[in-house]
Amino acid sequence: MAELPQITTLHAAHAIQSAQPHRKRFFRFNVVLFTVVALLVSYGLLICWSATANDPDYSFTRQAMCVAAGAVIMILLWHFDYQHLANMYLPFLIITVVLVLSPHLPIIGVERMGARSWINVGMQLQPGEFAKVTLVIFAASLVARYGGVLDDVREYAKCVALLLIPFLCIMTQPDLGTGLVYLVIAASVLIVGGAKARYLIGTLLIGVALVVLLLCIDEFFLKYQTASGDWEYRILKQYQRNRLLVFLNPEADLAGDGYNLAQAKIAIGSGGLFGKGLMNGTQSAYHLPEAPTDFVFCILAEELGFVGSMVLIGLYIALMVVIFRIARRSIDLFGTLVVSAIIGMWLFQILENIGMTVGLMPITGIPLPFVSYGSSFMIVNFIMLGLIGSVWAQSAMTGKKGGYATPR
Amino acid sequence: MFFAVLAAIIAAIAVVGVIAAILLYRQRHSKKHVHINHEVKQFTTVVGTTPFDNPTVAAGKLNGEVIVESDSAAKMKPSDGLRGRIALLGGFAAVIFSALAAKLWNMQIMSNEAYASQAEQNLYTTVTTPAARGVISDTNGLPLVKNKVCQTVLAENDVADDADVTRRLSAVLGLPVNVIRKRIKDASEGAQSLRVVSSEARMRDVAYIAEHSEAFPGVSIESRTMREYPYGALAAHVLGYTAQPTEEQLAQQKEGRTIESNDVIGQAGIEVYYDSVLAGDRGQRRVMVDASGNVLDVMGDIKATQGSDITLTIDARVQYLADSLLAQTIAPNGTIGEGRGVAGSIVVLDVRDGSLIAMSSYPTFDPSYFTGSIPTDIWELYQTDEAFAPLNNRAINGQYAAASTFKAFTALAGLEEGFATFDSTWVCGGSWDGFGTGDVQRCHLHTGHGTLDLHGGIVNSCDVVFYEIAKAFFDHGPDGSGEISATALQEQIEKFGFGSQTGVDLAGESAGRVPTPEWKAEHWRNVPSEAQWRGGDYTNMIIGQGDVLVTPLQVAVGYGGVATGKLMRPHLLKEVRNAEGEVVVSYEPEVVSEPDVKPEYLDYVRDALHGMIRGNSTIANLVDSCGMDAAGKSGTAENYGHNDNAWFVTYAPYDDPHYVVACVIEEGGGGSAVAAPIAVQMLSAALKAEEGTLDTVPTKLSGSTGRSVPLSYQSASARDD
Repeated sequence: MAELPQITTLHAAHAIQSAQPHRKRFFRFNVVLFTVVALLVSYGLLICWSATANDPDYSFTRQAMCVAAGAVIMILLWHFDYQHLANMYLPFLIITVVLVLSPHLPIIGVERMGARSWINVGMQLQPGEFAKVTLVIFAASLVARYGGVLDDVREYAKCVALLLIPFLCIMTQPDLGTGLVYLVIAASVLIVGGAKARYLIGTLLIGVALVVLLLCIDEFFLKYQTASGDWEYRILKQYQRNRLLVFLNPEADLAGDGYNLAQAKIAIGSGGLFGKGLMNGTQSAYHLPEAPTDFVFCILAEELGFVGSMVLIGLYIALMVVIFRIARRSIDLFGTLVVSAIIGMWLFQILENIGMTVGLMPITGIPLPFVSYGSSFMIVNFIMLGLIGSVWAQSAMTGKKGGYATPR
Repeated sequence: MFFAVLAAIIAAIAVVGVIAAILLYRQRHSKKHVHINHEVKQFTTVVGTTPFDNPTVAAGKLNGEVIVESDSAAKMKPSDGLRGRIALLGGFAAVIFSALAAKLWNMQIMSNEAYASQAEQNLYTTVTTPAARGVISDTNGLPLVKNKVCQTVLAENDVADDADVTRRLSAVLGLPVNVIRKRIKDASEGAQSLRVVSSEARMRDVAYIAEHSEAFPGVSIESRTMREYPYGALAAHVLGYTAQPTEEQLAQQKEGRTIESNDVIGQAGIEVYYDSVLAGDRGQRRVMVDASGNVLDVMGDIKATQGSDITLTIDARVQYLADSLLAQTIAPNGTIGEGRGVAGSIVVLDVRDGSLIAMSSYPTFDPSYFTGSIPTDIWELYQTDEAFAPLNNRAINGQYAAASTFKAFTALAGLEEGFATFDSTWVCGGSWDGFGTGDVQRCHLHTGHGTLDLHGGIVNSCDVVFYEIAKAFFDHGPDGSGEISATALQEQIEKFGFGSQTGVDLAGESAGRVPTPEWKAEHWRNVPSEAQWRGGDYTNMIIGQGDVLVTPLQVAVGYGGVATGKLMRPHLLKEVRNAEGEVVVSYEPEVVSEPDVKPEYLDYVRDALHGMIRGNSTIANLVDSCGMDAAGKSGTAENYGHNDNAWFVTYAPYDDPHYVVACVIEEGGGGSAVAAPIAVQMLSAALKAEEGTLDTVPTKLSGSTGRSVPLSYQSASARDD
């Protein structure tokens, strides 16, 4: 793909000449975005504190420090001109692939519960999480080159092929949950990036057909019997199949595969209108494994009730409204696509995480943005906020400059 | 509910209000930007776009084509052309948030009560605490099985790998480190359960461990009640033993009794037969637990109630005599083979109501082996042939040829069928070949008894007399004149309970065997030449040999029937007392049957049994010295390849029978010589105990050592009766 010519923009030259020196002077905080994020993160920390207070396996201090570190990174990125990252889809593709494949490296790679998703570089990190950032930039810069009109089927196919590379890489770990997030990022960029509706629908149909085909291959050719005599599949593993079965029939195996879902629903349902009070939740604290990470919403719903859940959803809505406006107001398509990709990613994560605890979605290990315990995840979300902030700052600055600077 | 809905609506309005406020704020601030942005032209010419009618704008863009836009287009934001697309994303968001909110409303408000009650159920659980088992005492109230509270030191199985903790345990408990490690690794009580390090730790050591619990992670202390046997092996087979339930027992729960894995349940004898009586009601504690079962808080506590106490019909003094007589006879120094015989059994039965005064079996065991930990060497020895199965209760499970003790019943059969009368006489020449097959059968007295009537036949235990009666059964049976059925003799014998269980209150009683043509055909179905029912089967059966099998208890009950004319159900239970000491169950004697035999025939046989005692000067002297008037019968069972089994059965007083004693000594030799002295002593002891003149004081008995040597004693080459 290297032969593809890059767009040489007049804008880049201009930005270096005139926008750069004025950045500090014209830098402003987006008060609304900052307020919404502050409320959301504080609320998340409150729940995280309640979830981790009595559990020695988790450290609230660590989580709080991650938030602080994340905030610093966010402010730094806010100052950074995201437009420097435009037109660099190839380097970012390479970085993404290296990150996603890094757990396979011999020394730093860590295998945990059958998946190579972690690396150990002094601290345990999930490079697949950080790859979300590079993937967002990669995808946005890839599609931004078409200027919002992606009506050539060959170019569209090239885009899809390139966007699938990170997904295929993460499936080698394997990590289906993160893989789905990658697909959603890619889909968001394609939708907002102007891909023709029939291409998108066609891709969806081909995707469904491929999944069916893979499942058939799995069933008829790759199935094998384990030592214990049970059948195991190579593509969609038995535990994933069980999760799907639980989703389809939650009552089938309450003590086994259906246990988590049943307990999660009891936790949420027993919360009632106002909940049992912080730290007073019994259900999620005693009966839900991994409560502070994937099932953190259960703690919120049980302890703060429907009102508490609605406050969280309200804060998410507020965040979405604010960043939707930023996407709309971006001075370039690249910025719009970056923000749209982040919107799509967060929407999917919220839907999947809350959805799985209430039985609307099958169970996968996707954390809840700004609430779930986890350092990589928290920092990545702040990086995303930093990117959004950068997009906003550039548009706001341009606006100011446009008002006072003399046009050429 | 109304309040809840109202509050939720207020909450929803508040959320909407916040969002509206944010929107309004943005609206006001953004106006400025929009206004300013419209004046920016340069930037939009760079990457901004509006779709032209060029079909492949995308390709054009890639070729570096700079599209110069018109002023009106340049005033637009780059994303303006994608307004619809962004709105689509917004639509997704709206659907997602509405769906989640609706689902949460449904779960948290509409179905709140159902979920709340499930959470409640999840939170609390009831754990049960074991109850102490009832005490078992003898007929005079002397406790034979008691409970003691033991401080048990338990450890989690990973403690075995903790060298520090095992070393500390070793120092405190005074046990070698390797023993402690071995006990912790022993998974015989189930992989999940805590392992017993010491079942009877001293109070001092327990206190030390409790005080320094931080130095003993994974170690816990529990008070457990354990069975205690003040008299050791006394009546071991009657009492049985207790142990923790096996996997199988846990799987097959009996009705009305729930067994849990940390329970102690009866595994043999009275302990298992009356398990539901002896077991108390478990205490119940309502506790708050987490998903791993850790107790967080105790909400309520119902104390366990002890099981009911059982009083047995066994007289500990008589039982003690029986147990020690057998031990002295068979293994005077603890090793089988140094005395007479290799095993034996004594049954002392009250013929009036079926009460068992003593039931003894040797070799025996100490039931406390099973409550604590049985020494491995002894347990392994018990499994070998050398130990002669100490756990086997020979009184109910030892099946032997009845030998001449059977003659009382076969004589009655002959009288009933008319093949023998009070006037019949036979000539015994020492050998007999009544069927003319050339296969000569011998009387035990090879020189012959001369001319005898039935009385003489019983007193002298003359086999020829009974061969003649057997021949009469054969000749009148299907192979002869066909006047009687092939099982006429068996039916007469079965009147006295042979071939079926006596119904004693012990589990797993053997039924013995009275052979029939049908049984023989089945038994030998693979060897047709042996399956034929022959005359020899009659002659063997009539002297209690061949395929006949009886248990000592059956013989005692059968002689009770001869002595009184009634077959009583033998029993060990006298009464049951509840935890308050009130008698709740009292055993009612039960007549199993009254054998349909003419009273004059019974009198005739009793007289002959009386004559048998009087006719043997040694036994007569023995009986006289005890001041009794007894009737009885000896038996010497041929035991191919081994010494004969010695039998003696006797009852007294002759004219008003109280007790019957049956005694068998495996490989003991002659019945009159070996078994008779034991049986007579036991009979005398039972009578004295009744009179209150028995001065035996039971002491602690030990179980068999499990050791044996080849039997040095050889019985006479021929039977002496």
